[in-house]
Amino acid sequence: MLAAILAAGLAVGATYALIGVTYNIMFSASRVMSFTAGQLGMLGGVLGAMFISRLHLPILPGMVLALGGCALVGLVTEIIAVRPVLKALDQHLYVLSTLGFALMIQTFTAIEWSTEPQPFPRLIGIGEGGPWDEKFWLPVLACVATIVGLELLYRRTLVGRAFLAIAEDNFAARALGLPERNLRMASYALAGAVGGLAGFAGGELLLAFFANGSMLNFYGFIPVALGGLGNNKGAVIGGLALGVFQQAANFLMGGVVAGVAVFAVFIIVLLVAPQGLFGAPAARRV
Amino acid sequence: MSNNGSRLNRRTLLGASAVALAAPALLRPAHAQAEPIRIGWLATFTGPLSSPTIGFDRGVKHAVEQINAKGGVNGRLIEVISRDTQGDPTKAVNATQDVISRQKVHAIFGPVNSGELLATTPIMARAKVPSLVAGVVNSLIDPVKFPNAFRVTPSNAQWDDAVRNYCQNIVKAKKVAITADATGYGTSAHDDSMASFKKAGFDIVYDGVIDPAQPDVTPDLLRAKNAGAEALVSWTVSAGMAARMMNARAALNWDVPIVGHPALGTGEIGKLVAKPEYWEKVYQVGYRSCSYGPDGKLPKANQEFVDSVRGKMPLADTSLWWIASGVDAINLIAEAVAKTGSTDSDKIIGYWNTLNMWPGLYGHYSFSPEQHNGFLGTDVVMSKANTQRDGAFDLAPGYV
Repeated sequence: MLAAILAAGLAVGATYALIGVTYNIMFSASRVMSFTAGQLGMLGGVLGAMFISRLHLPILPGMVLALGGCALVGLVTEIIAVRPVLKALDQHLYVLSTLGFALMIQTFTAIEWSTEPQPFPRLIGIGEGGPWDEKFWLPVLACVATIVGLELLYRRTLVGRAFLAIAEDNFAARALGLPERNLRMASYALAGAVGGLAGFAGGELLLAFFANGSMLNFYGFIPVALGGLGNNKGAVIGGLALGVFQQAANFLMGGVVAGVAVFAVFIIVLLVAPQGLFGAPAARRV
Repeated sequence: MSNNGSRLNRRTLLGASAVALAAPALLRPAHAQAEPIRIGWLATFTGPLSSPTIGFDRGVKHAVEQINAKGGVNGRLIEVISRDTQGDPTKAVNATQDVISRQKVHAIFGPVNSGELLATTPIMARAKVPSLVAGVVNSLIDPVKFPNAFRVTPSNAQWDDAVRNYCQNIVKAKKVAITADATGYGTSAHDDSMASFKKAGFDIVYDGVIDPAQPDVTPDLLRAKNAGAEALVSWTVSAGMAARMMNARAALNWDVPIVGHPALGTGEIGKLVAKPEYWEKVYQVGYRSCSYGPDGKLPKANQEFVDSVRGKMPLADTSLWWIASGVDAINLIAEAVAKTGSTDSDKIIGYWNTLNMWPGLYGHYSFSPEQHNGFLGTDVVMSKANTQRDGAFDLAPGYV
């Protein structure tokens, strides 16, 4: 019983965490909360099902193409929904531009793909629906691989250090000659791939469904708020905790009441620690 | 003489001209002169809720073609005025006002979902247009408030009766779990079902209104299993949620029967269950007229109908009851006009109020001035959800 709740909770939580990381990567590069993060997760599932189930590609090329497609959408997000806003004086317009683009992605998918959930292929074939079924551990594995990969990228490579420099202070980074715009575009492509991986790894659980985007947008934002904006480790811990808590609440209270409980806890946490559980209050020059 | 001849010639000429002008009209068949019977057909032709309309529309077109091919009703052809409501109550209201005020229809069939009907039924009632209702929400039918509205499908209460009777008499369950999706329909179906199962003396050991987008329903089913549920009642129109329930049931090694909404038999579920056998022991609301008996045949009239349209009308991608309901709706209007000789709304409504066990393709209909829920309750049965062929299903175990 506990194993079933934990397995499902960790899997769903890992998917939320990856969407949280997607938000963070885009935010770090541009200081913009792009509400396309959930749609990238949805596209990961839909493109994966399209390449593997409909076009009958082998799993690995199917995955590479799906993540590549999501990276491209990430890039387009930067060009049409973020870059124009960064030029504007009132940068809060990003809420409109990214939400508008997210809606376009969702509507296009509904028209071209299906308005009904479609099956996502079995990727490896391990497990028979029990707690060790691949649909539960694949999202967790993808989450671990992403965090390790991002750590290696940021700490061990020059490009990664440049990403960090931009995130830290983009004016200073530009003054040092770093190609800020190209790095921002690369960050959005990376975020697209991470978001796509969330949907691809969680596809067996979430199915290939156009409406997953808004759900992931919503629940993927909670780990960001809980973990602290821009803090990937906080997003992962927040995401996993959210998933397990949500499944436990489904078991203990059931249905819609469980959703209310999740948000009640979320609001309480933010009242106690407005900067998130793992975020530090922003320093302000006085 | 010449004058006489001239007058005669002029008369002849005038007479001949009159005949020449009148000839095409005289030669035209009689029915073409009569005003057509205009029927408003409001349905969700496009959008995510359009699949029932595909079936209904085939039935409507088929019935109209059959009647018009025989010369119409009392020499009057049927003209169907279709409007796409897109599943949107606002568009349904506009379409209703259009067909009533501008198109001057004599009767209306549709819209075909309850949300739109809740918005349009009062408008049709104000205009006193005879209307045939294809929606299950109980409050749509009220002979005092809406004397023009007649339900030609079962009500939610009749679906609930079928599910409850099956759990009680065939499954022999005493403890049940009731689940529904968190939509407007799901919530109301859940509340109605809870009340009726409680009234019938069931022990409801679990009940849950579940978000249809919830990625995993294992915790919900685990709770129901631990509580000792002997039947799982499902009121969801979401194929994703239904398939997740079946997958979770298998993962928990639980062979409890799932009993509920007709959507449990939708073809999408076959694609979403992890293994085809996970769709076993799932029983959906069905109709005796559209169910295969133990001999693998439909009831006589429906078998003849299916045989007559096979190859001419696609059946595999829709439900037979949608088609049958479309046929019945047109025939009910046509018969009212034929028997009363009029398209006056009072005459049509008056005629429908006298119907007693009117034998349609979909079911038997009985109406009176006090009762406009016309569908015969015993025509609602349970079917095996994974047995669809030609839009019809096998009867669930326990029926003969």
